[in-house]
Amino acid sequence: MNEFYIAQVLPGDLAGMEAVDRLLEHEGLRRDEHLDYTCAMYDAEGRAVATGSCCRNTLRCFAVSAGHRGEGLLNRILTHLIGYQAERGNYHLFLYTKPDAAAFFGDLGFHEIARVPGSLVFMENRRSGFSGYLRQLAQTRRDGVSAAVVMNANPFTLGHQYLAEQAAAHCDALHLFTVSEDLSEFSFAERRNMVRLGTAHIPNVILHDCGPYIISAATFPGYFLKEEAQIVEAQARLDIEVFKRIAQALNITERWVGEEPASVTTGIYNRVMAEALPEAGIRCIVLPRKEANGIPISAGAVRECLRRGDTQALKALVPETTFNCLTNPAAQ
Amino acid sequence: MKILKPAVAGTLESSDCMVTVEPGCGELELDLDSTVIRQYGKQIRRVISETLTRLEVTDARVTVVDKGALDCTIKARVECAVYRSNDIRDALPWGGAIQ
Repeated sequence: MNEFYIAQVLPGDLAGMEAVDRLLEHEGLRRDEHLDYTCAMYDAEGRAVATGSCCRNTLRCFAVSAGHRGEGLLNRILTHLIGYQAERGNYHLFLYTKPDAAAFFGDLGFHEIARVPGSLVFMENRRSGFSGYLRQLAQTRRDGVSAAVVMNANPFTLGHQYLAEQAAAHCDALHLFTVSEDLSEFSFAERRNMVRLGTAHIPNVILHDCGPYIISAATFPGYFLKEEAQIVEAQARLDIEVFKRIAQALNITERWVGEEPASVTTGIYNRVMAEALPEAGIRCIVLPRKEANGIPISAGAVRECLRRGDTQALKALVPETTFNCLTNPAAQ
Repeated sequence: MKILKPAVAGTLESSDCMVTVEPGCGELELDLDSTVIRQYGKQIRRVISETLTRLEVTDARVTVVDKGALDCTIKARVECAVYRSNDIRDALPWGGAIQ
C-alpha cells in the first residue's frame, strides 16, 4: 500500500486536473465547477489512480481507476478529505454519490438522508443528523391542514409577507422555513429576525430553520452559485426529496411558493416542485407575485433600492418591520 | 477531561478506526459503525467507554467508524482524539488520565 501517496491537485495544475477528469469520466462523472479542494492518489510511477474533492462541507467527485478496485484506495481518499475538512473546522459532512456506491459509503460512517432514484444519494456522517432534525420538527406537528413555505427572505419583503398571510389564511398551521445558509447579502440572524417580526401578526405560523437540509449549500449549491440549468434541476430534485421527508414529519399537504418571473434558478426549482410534490400527495400552490406600482415585488428590487439609497421606493416594497431593520440595523 | 472542541483521530483503512469527539449536551453519546458490529459490537463499545471513563470524559458526542481495529488501536485512537480536542500535542500521557 505504501507505494501510493495522496496529494492535493491545485486548480492551476492543468495536467493534474486532466488526470482527475479522466478518472471521473470512467465513472460517468464530470468534475464539479465549484470544488474548493481536490486530491488525487498516485502510484509509484506518478499515475493518478483515485480522486476525491470537497466543496464547502460536502465531499464529492470520487473515482478509483478500474485496475485498483477493492484495494481500499477510496477509504484512504475519504480519510484524507475528512482530515482536510477537520482542519477547516467542518465535522458535519455531506456527500453525494451514485446509488450503487451508497452501500460503500454506508460502511464508512455515512448515513442516507434522501435519494433521487436512479440518479444520486445524499448522505451525512451523523447517524441522527437528519432524523434528529425531523424529530425536533415533529414536536411542532399540528392537527388539521398543514402547509409549508420556504424562504430566503434576503431581505423579507411585502411579497414574502403576502405569501405567508395567504398561505396561513388557507390552512390550520403554516410551517415557515427560513434558509439557514449564511451565503446571502443578509446574514441568517438578520433574515430570521426580519421573518419573525414580519409574521408576528399571523397567529398560526410556526417558524423553523432549514438547517443544512433544505436549500442549503449542501443540497442545493445552485441556489447560491451560478450553475447550468441541468445541474440546478438535479439539485432541485434532491432538495424536494428531502422536503418530502420533512413534509411527512409535519403532515404537510401543501407547499406555497411565490411565482418566480425574474430568477431562472428559482423558476426551475418551482417547476420541478410542481412536478414532484403531487407524486407525494403534496399540493404545490404558486401564488402570483404581489405588485407595488405595477411592478412585482422582489428581494432583488429591494436590494437595488438599498444600493441606490432610495428609502422612498424601499418603503413601498417592505413591511415596516423590515424597513426598521434596514434603516436602523443597530436598533435590532 | 472536557471536550473543548471537535477533533478527529485515525483512518478508515482496514484494521483501523476513525474516532471523532465533539462537545456533548451533558452526557456521553456514542455512535458506532463497525464492519464487525455483529461479532464484536459489545466489546468495541466497552473499550471505547472504558477509555473515556479513564480519561474522565463524561460529556461528549463520540463517533467511531470501525474497520476491524484491534482493542489497542481503538483505545489509542480514542485517546488521541480526546487529547487533540484539548490541544495536547507534546508529552502525550498515553494510557493515563490528564487532570
